[in-house]
Amino acid sequence: MIQLNNVTKNFAGKQAVKGLNLTIPDGKIFGFLGPNGAGKSTTIKMMTGILPIDEGSITLNGMDISKQPMDVKRVIGYVPDRSDIFLRLKGIEYLNFMADVFNIPSDVREEKITYLTKSFGIYDALGDHIQTYSHGMKQKIVVSGVLLHDPDIWILDEPLTGLDPKSSFTLKEMMREHANKGKIVFFSTHVLEVVEQLCDEVAIINNGQVQFQGAMSEMRQQFKEDDNLERLFLELTQNE
Amino acid sequence: MSKTWTLMKIMAKMQLSLAGKSTSEKVGYVLLTLVMLPFGALILSLLNNLISTLYDVLSPTGNENIILGLVFVSVTFLFIFLSISTVLSSFYFAEDVESFISLPFQPYQILMGKSTVPFLSLYGTNAMLLLPVLLFYGLHSEAGAAYYGLAFMIWLLTPVIPFVITAIIVMFIMRFANISKNKDRTKIVVGLLGFAFAIGINVIIRLDSGGNAGEDMAALFMQQNGLLELITKFFPVAYFSSIALTTASTGTAALYFLLVAGLSAGAIVLFMTIGQATYFKGVLGLSGGKRSTFNDKTLDENVKETPLLWSLVLKEVRTIMRTPTFFTQIVVQSLFFPIFLVIILFMESSGSLDQISAMLGSWDGKIVLLALFGLTIVGLGINPASFSSVSRDGKSWFNYLYLPIPARTVIGSKLLIAFALNLVSLLILALVAVFLIGIPVWPLVNWLFLSIIAAWVTSVGGLLIDLYQPKLNWTDEREVFKGRFAGLVVFAIEAVIFGGAIGILWNMSSVEGVWITSLILFTLLIVLTAGCHFGLKKLVDQKYDKIL
Repeated sequence: MIQLNNVTKNFAGKQAVKGLNLTIPDGKIFGFLGPNGAGKSTTIKMMTGILPIDEGSITLNGMDISKQPMDVKRVIGYVPDRSDIFLRLKGIEYLNFMADVFNIPSDVREEKITYLTKSFGIYDALGDHIQTYSHGMKQKIVVSGVLLHDPDIWILDEPLTGLDPKSSFTLKEMMREHANKGKIVFFSTHVLEVVEQLCDEVAIINNGQVQFQGAMSEMRQQFKEDDNLERLFLELTQNE
Repeated sequence: MSKTWTLMKIMAKMQLSLAGKSTSEKVGYVLLTLVMLPFGALILSLLNNLISTLYDVLSPTGNENIILGLVFVSVTFLFIFLSISTVLSSFYFAEDVESFISLPFQPYQILMGKSTVPFLSLYGTNAMLLLPVLLFYGLHSEAGAAYYGLAFMIWLLTPVIPFVITAIIVMFIMRFANISKNKDRTKIVVGLLGFAFAIGINVIIRLDSGGNAGEDMAALFMQQNGLLELITKFFPVAYFSSIALTTASTGTAALYFLLVAGLSAGAIVLFMTIGQATYFKGVLGLSGGKRSTFNDKTLDENVKETPLLWSLVLKEVRTIMRTPTFFTQIVVQSLFFPIFLVIILFMESSGSLDQISAMLGSWDGKIVLLALFGLTIVGLGINPASFSSVSRDGKSWFNYLYLPIPARTVIGSKLLIAFALNLVSLLILALVAVFLIGIPVWPLVNWLFLSIIAAWVTSVGGLLIDLYQPKLNWTDEREVFKGRFAGLVVFAIEAVIFGGAIGILWNMSSVEGVWITSLILFTLLIVLTAGCHFGLKKLVDQKYDKIL
């Protein structure tokens, strides 16, 4: 379970996240939506230990990210919103590095690397520098690296950006499979169709505050039953 | 032309802007400038004395213009050397190149924009070196207003030709280098050419001055401008500038000045013409790379478990070796001093090496040790690997924060890299000391032991300063090294601490012998190491998670 209690984050002259409360139960694919600059990435960065929390607390699987950062980081798999990382490494070097970070034994890592990279169709490019990859390939190698250690909680910031339809489908399948195992997939996106098609629960955030949180079905009921999600989203974030 | 001007302005703004720098950083710059002022004054007075002495010696034979010749040749050489890396980085390696190519600009317009900052940065060196020399020369020769007017214009023109020539050569090489398959490696090889160039020029000048130097010199002394012609043999513009200035208020001066101005203008036109034809051929496709084949066998070979610290070190080494800017700024620059020293010593006739050995043999062990130690500090002092430790990661720093890697492991890996580079320089120096100079054994052993600790302290010091004020928000790797005072701060602190200690020990007659001197230096180093580690630990605790 992920729990955010009254989380607040201030930047110079601006409150990016204001007393945010969220509870994400196990076994769900949780969609985190909001317009640009709503505070999505800031929230995710606090959940993963990249940004310190100014007020409030965040616990993942019962562990507080501020108090037990190493333990939390071992159970999460985070795909950042930018894939231009470790550019000077070869694909295989990056995956090996990630496997070293998570202490994955040789035989397991070989098997996982083969499985993940073949599923995403980048196995043949593993000997090349990541810098020479296309945007989509970079995204795929990052996702592969993050999933190597079989993390309990997946935190994915815009994971489908740049993926071709086949890889996008593969990742969505993997997300579903992971949630079915009773684990959490927490992901942010702008693509409303994906949310409708994939999510069990959603939260819509605007100006650093949650506007709505609940199951997809509730969300539809609470607002006009026959409206599409796009209109709903616009309605909730109309002050933008 | 207005488009060219716009590009030049925008590119200068992007690289020189203080935006994003904290107030404390700005205050730091001001304070540092204030601290540097007395140093500047000291250097200026030394320069003035040097010129005064040279002028008095040379003016009776009418050879005083050799001072100008020497200075013009030196700055030309320096400008060429400095421009190689800045031109390469700005024209070819900077990541913004591609975003400009897609805009409707002519190649020469982009080139002019890309030249702005590298060219302007030469004026910093120009103002510090050439300007005072011209001024002091004017004062000593009791020159009139015409001299100063002319001197100022020549001062303005001097960086043009070295910069343009370097740029043309670099463009020419890159035009062909780009054909090769492995772009990154090519970039590194071209970067190394700068290194080879500096050493090559040194070798040529040394070879050229060999032979019956004594007799030739005497003859040249008798002949006006004779020495100047010798010195400026490979740099005609330096010759024209010197003659123009020594004949300041005459028609000859005007003629030679016009020659310098004409050549400079011609060089710019040539640069734009050649650039228009070759720049895009060198730059297009630069970011591409070859595709290799990968199969189960390669996977087997590549997948192995490594301890995390070692894995981080490997990642760091790969990044440095494969990023052309990092490679030239870190590896080449750290090794430049020791390798340069080896080459110079090799080029010396065996006679002078024997002289050095004999001189060292006659010195007290303490003095040998202190001299060697001082030399090491100069060599290790500027260790770009240490003061770029954190900044090198740039916007990717956040990767360390969400991965379960303890802060001390990350910092430890960075420290090891900086230390390893220092160690390589140290080993080269040690080999020189043993095989070329034949330093007595005990001072050598003590020096090596102390230097290894010094190498560690300087690495920790550099890292400490970088962690305190890292530059992560860069778009071009060069920004990690240029326009930052981190390196200078480290060097200044080291100069004060170690320079002071060496000076005191050197003059203290109560401290005698290698062992006592070593013991005192050892104690100092241990105290410094402990202090630096304490500082580093505190800073890591306070800052590591909050850098972003």
